[in-house]
Amino acid sequence: MQRRTPIFIVTSSRPRVGKTLIARALVEYFCAQSRPVAGYDVNPDEFTLLEYLPSYTAAASLRDTQGEMTLFDALIMPDEVPKVVDLAHNQLDRFFRVMQEVNFVVEARRRAIMPIVLFLADADDRARRGYAMLGDRFPNCTLVAVLNEAVPQIERYRKFFPPSPRGGAAVSIPALTAVLRSIVDRPRFSFLDYAAKVTDTTAELYTWIRCVFLTFRAIELRAVLDDVHPELRQSA
Amino acid sequence: MAKPAVVLVGADKGGVGKTTVSRALLDYFIAHDISTRAFDTEAPKGTLRRFHPNVSEVVDITTATDQMKIFDTLANTTAQVTVIDVRAGLLSTTLRALRDIGFLEAVKKNQISFTVFHILGPSIASLSEIDDTAPFMDDAHYILVRNFINSTTFFEWDPATYNSYFKKIKDAHDITVPKLNEMACEQVEVASVPYVSFIANKGASGQAASFSFVLRGYVRHWLGNVWAEFDRVKLIDLVAAEQPRKGAARQAETKAAG
Repeated sequence: MQRRTPIFIVTSSRPRVGKTLIARALVEYFCAQSRPVAGYDVNPDEFTLLEYLPSYTAAASLRDTQGEMTLFDALIMPDEVPKVVDLAHNQLDRFFRVMQEVNFVVEARRRAIMPIVLFLADADDRARRGYAMLGDRFPNCTLVAVLNEAVPQIERYRKFFPPSPRGGAAVSIPALTAVLRSIVDRPRFSFLDYAAKVTDTTAELYTWIRCVFLTFRAIELRAVLDDVHPELRQSA
Repeated sequence: MAKPAVVLVGADKGGVGKTTVSRALLDYFIAHDISTRAFDTEAPKGTLRRFHPNVSEVVDITTATDQMKIFDTLANTTAQVTVIDVRAGLLSTTLRALRDIGFLEAVKKNQISFTVFHILGPSIASLSEIDDTAPFMDDAHYILVRNFINSTTFFEWDPATYNSYFKKIKDAHDITVPKLNEMACEQVEVASVPYVSFIANKGASGQAASFSFVLRGYVRHWLGNVWAEFDRVKLIDLVAAEQPRKGAARQAETKAAG
């Protein structure tokens, strides 16, 4: 069987819920396995992902058709390079409108590409509606809600992000303490460099990285199983 | 075989995207396996011919020789459908000529199926064109096309005005051609291929091309919508099926009025 190439689209309906943190960790997740990866930073104001991972990331824009072509023509390329899209909350509508109009999911499947949408949840009603909208409009796309525990009382809102037909139940990402957050937010901080240097594998940040990477692996597995054999997903 | 069908595509004004509709029609008929030939009256250059060279011929519809070329061959052509892209400003003239050569008479006698796509531009002025064409439409399938392909604004029509015009023609249909992304539109023009080829990423002679996936997606989406409009007015039935003509409907109506 041809190996399927994942495209992670990390997005949310609201700013400041940890999108770029997840996108950064995802890019490094592929690096950790020595897999190729390409990141796309779709933020109209500041390119944060690009600043952290300049050698893996390209800035992208949906301002005009030219920008749409550049981004989507790259995403649909059957080059077997996993891709990570950091999609700003205010670009969500435009991105998914193009995705729907050009029939991206069907074409992707034909090219053994698996689009996986990671939707960062939050308490705002816009997030609930955004998640429901994606589920409605892209029933064949793997959609997973991500509950970032750094968002206050996020677990209470789990019921607003029910399991999707493809993708399954929401996943939780542990919160980083304020001190650790200030460390990972340092310019050019790399999870992999840190993990390579650390000696104490029970250190909080190391545990966080391991937990997050395992979550990514589980999501990737869900997507593959969905493609191959939907009934198997329950066990992933 | 069903009786021959003539599909006239015209507008009284230039620049309303008439050839776009002709191209979408040719793609539609070909996709439905209906043998089709086309005449392009944009003599001498022929825009339609550029996109569909295999089935199109450039003619000057104002001359008797070319009228013969089109209409005298109807009975013995292998093409089920003849699409005529009428040059801007010639729609009323052409309809008058069709009456004069007895074509409309043959339509009335149910020997030929006749469909007119009348493309309307986005200004209120173009509605008065309906007045000019309406008298010739008694036995034709009349389809008004609101063409948004190039327009960035909505039609500045008042629905009440539009409907009062629309009702002047019995059994008229109206269809809407949605806007196509400008860049996609431009790239198809540059490529000079049928829409279907562009979507399939094929060049003029069937060779693999490298059109943008996004633009192909836009064109596929747009063409799907246009074809859905053709489906909605049951275009295939109009041109390719033996069916009782509107005569029956008209009789019923006369009775109802009496």
